[in-house]
Amino acid sequence: MDPATEYQSLDEPGRSNHLWRYTPWRRVHPTGDVSGIPEMDSPVVGLIGFDGGPAPDGIRIQQGIVSDTIMPGSDALTGSFLRAVAADSSWTLSVESGFSSEHPVILDVDVGDSASVLHLCLDVGRLSELELVTRVRGSGEWFGMLRTGGVGDGSSLNDVVVSLLDKGTLLRVDSINVGRDAQVRAGTVSSGSDRTKADLRYRMAETGGNLRVLGSILSAGSMHLDHHVEIHHDAPETFSRLSWHSACDGDSRTIGTGMLRVADGSTGADASQLFHNLLLSEDAEADSIPELEVLEHEVVGCGHGTANGPIDEDQVFYLESRGLEPSEARGALIAAFLNSTLSEMGSESLHDWLVGLLNSELRELDA
Amino acid sequence: MPANQEAMDVVGDYKSGWHDPENSTIRFDFGLSEKVVREISALKDEPEWMTDIRVKAYRHFVERPMPTWGNTPMLGEIDFDNICYFLRSGEGTEDDWDDVPEDIRNTFDKLGIPEAEQKWLSGVTAQYESEAVYHSIREDLEEQGVIFLDMDSGLREHPEIVRDWFCSVVPLTDNKFAALNTAVWSGGSFIYVPKGVHVEMPVQAYFRINAKNMGQFERTLIIADEGSSIHYVEGCTAPTYSTDSLHSAVVELIALPGAHIRYSTVQNWSANVYNLVTKRGIAHENSKIEWVDGNIGSKLTMKYPSVILKGEGSHAEVISVAYSGEGQHQDAGAKIHHLASNTTSKILSKSISKNGGRGSYRGLVKVSPKAENCKLNVVCDALILDEGSRSDTYPTMEVANPTARCEHEASVSKVSDNQLFYLMSRGHSEEEALAMIVNGFFEPFTRELPMEYAVELNQLMALEMEGSIG
Repeated sequence: MDPATEYQSLDEPGRSNHLWRYTPWRRVHPTGDVSGIPEMDSPVVGLIGFDGGPAPDGIRIQQGIVSDTIMPGSDALTGSFLRAVAADSSWTLSVESGFSSEHPVILDVDVGDSASVLHLCLDVGRLSELELVTRVRGSGEWFGMLRTGGVGDGSSLNDVVVSLLDKGTLLRVDSINVGRDAQVRAGTVSSGSDRTKADLRYRMAETGGNLRVLGSILSAGSMHLDHHVEIHHDAPETFSRLSWHSACDGDSRTIGTGMLRVADGSTGADASQLFHNLLLSEDAEADSIPELEVLEHEVVGCGHGTANGPIDEDQVFYLESRGLEPSEARGALIAAFLNSTLSEMGSESLHDWLVGLLNSELRELDA
Repeated sequence: MPANQEAMDVVGDYKSGWHDPENSTIRFDFGLSEKVVREISALKDEPEWMTDIRVKAYRHFVERPMPTWGNTPMLGEIDFDNICYFLRSGEGTEDDWDDVPEDIRNTFDKLGIPEAEQKWLSGVTAQYESEAVYHSIREDLEEQGVIFLDMDSGLREHPEIVRDWFCSVVPLTDNKFAALNTAVWSGGSFIYVPKGVHVEMPVQAYFRINAKNMGQFERTLIIADEGSSIHYVEGCTAPTYSTDSLHSAVVELIALPGAHIRYSTVQNWSANVYNLVTKRGIAHENSKIEWVDGNIGSKLTMKYPSVILKGEGSHAEVISVAYSGEGQHQDAGAKIHHLASNTTSKILSKSISKNGGRGSYRGLVKVSPKAENCKLNVVCDALILDEGSRSDTYPTMEVANPTARCEHEASVSKVSDNQLFYLMSRGHSEEEALAMIVNGFFEPFTRELPMEYAVELNQLMALEMEGSIG
């Protein structure tokens, strides 16, 4: 069945489905008319080195999809919709087996000022090492991004997606397979767009997969940022950690929902997820649903936790007593809160770059 | 083959799985219609307003679709047309144990109810099928104005109080099964504790389904007036049949300012009973509501005891344990709504899955924008004892006030080899060691129960653990 037909055969999901509990599909569909599959522009996509020069050899981006595999259990609605609208905007990012780069590589996605969509297939070869930053920027009213593909056996990938959209709606769907003994750090830095609906799914179907999913979310004004993260342990000796930090200001709302699913036979699985929310204003709201489904009893451990709270006034007082202005103290504490996941996303140089980005966003927030 | 032999063959370890011959005085045909609802109301000679509520609820039940969440395949197996919605087994509610029909008396004697009443209870209601067959309360409490009746008598004798509070906590449109209960409710307990009265010893209700394909829809309403306190304990069992029965209760608790209600349940339905229950309390200023909830039996339990913290300074606690064995799904949890400032809540949930059973924690904690300085803590622990068993947690936290401090943690694990080894090195068999670990795992729950219930639960768990090793 082609994606458009598949999409049109599906019912609009109800709010009893946790994935759509807080952000109905109608609200993130580009037109609101959920039966329609509108025409979309393509963003400008470029691969550059961390210093702004060309990307190193061994990594390239080309139009078209090399292998399009959506992991089992993915949401059929958004997957089929994005594939349908992105038929002419599909790209594959290929990384040669054994590739290794000292510096991060930036995939720059400029959505311009129109509604656009991108289907990106990640084809990371075996035993490669890469830090990839996908930077999404622009001022379009709507941007959809579907990322499929996989990370080859024994590879190490730090994969950070940074959303810097000025406004509009971001619909993001990830469906990534983690290979045997592969190590993946999947980071999300979100401080842009008026509304984000992200459905990020990772599957470890081979022994020894190691996955860390990290989120650093800053919401302000009336932003509505909804992230769902799903990690499937479908093989023995797999490891995952999900750590999600959201700071909410204004009358914004952040939603973090997680699902750890440990399949029968995934002996030795070790999985946990943590959601931390910092509420910065009276009208902000943070919702968390960290879910677990464990069908295997021989596990190292499966756990989850969530904590919500305001800025600690004692810490503000301490910083003020060291000479910081109240707003500076507050900013420093927000930065420290978000930095605890940023610092896990990759190398020192990547971390420095991300901190610079965060500080500029915080300055804007303060202004 | 003896009459009970067929049932005994499938009873297995479930020691309450026997049944007595059915001696009903009134039995409705299978199936539900508006006529059935009106006939139940007429049979009980109810006021018109109650009949109207029942009919409205029935219509809502018919219109409302089945839930699309939870164990939908199991829910889909419920055949509402193959259930008896009302069955009367006695001539009325007796207050002298000797006046209860002999066969029913024997049933409750076997379950130890009268013995318990003499030793450690302030009052007892025993419900058999649709209605209470025995009821008593200590004279001194009655003199202090405590009302403890079965719900039908409560409506008859105190219609003004029932009218004020009935459906005030769980509206008839709350969910499909609450609507069903409101349409066909029968039995349950009605309690009113006057201002400042403390009922020192617990009151107990015991619910027994005896007939095949039976629906039990008791309705319980407890009102604790200002500064009063009460501990209510309920237990439930049913025979093991090859066809399914349905238990769909609604419990409404109202804790007025400064009151304290503790509601303890040890649910041990047989593995052919659907247990779909709505339990909710409203806590006013500085009051406290506690749900102590044990789910051992049933085929499918969907039960999420809730508290609405409406008054400033109120507190809620839910302590629940669930054991899921072969073919069982215990989908239990808790819901707390912090509507007022300075409210606190605590949820502790523990579950064990064994022999392919499935245990799920499903919870909601909500802090409203106006509720300042709320504190809440949720802890869920699960043990999976063998291959093929399953544990899920589905917690939801919605926090709309920045001054709230909310914590949630959960873990799923297996029994620690180190703990087993240690206990075995002290001379215990592996089976004994496992039973001790399981009892220790449930200890935060059992210590909140009256002693007799705690001992019973420990014995029950030891029985369930038999044959776990090897």
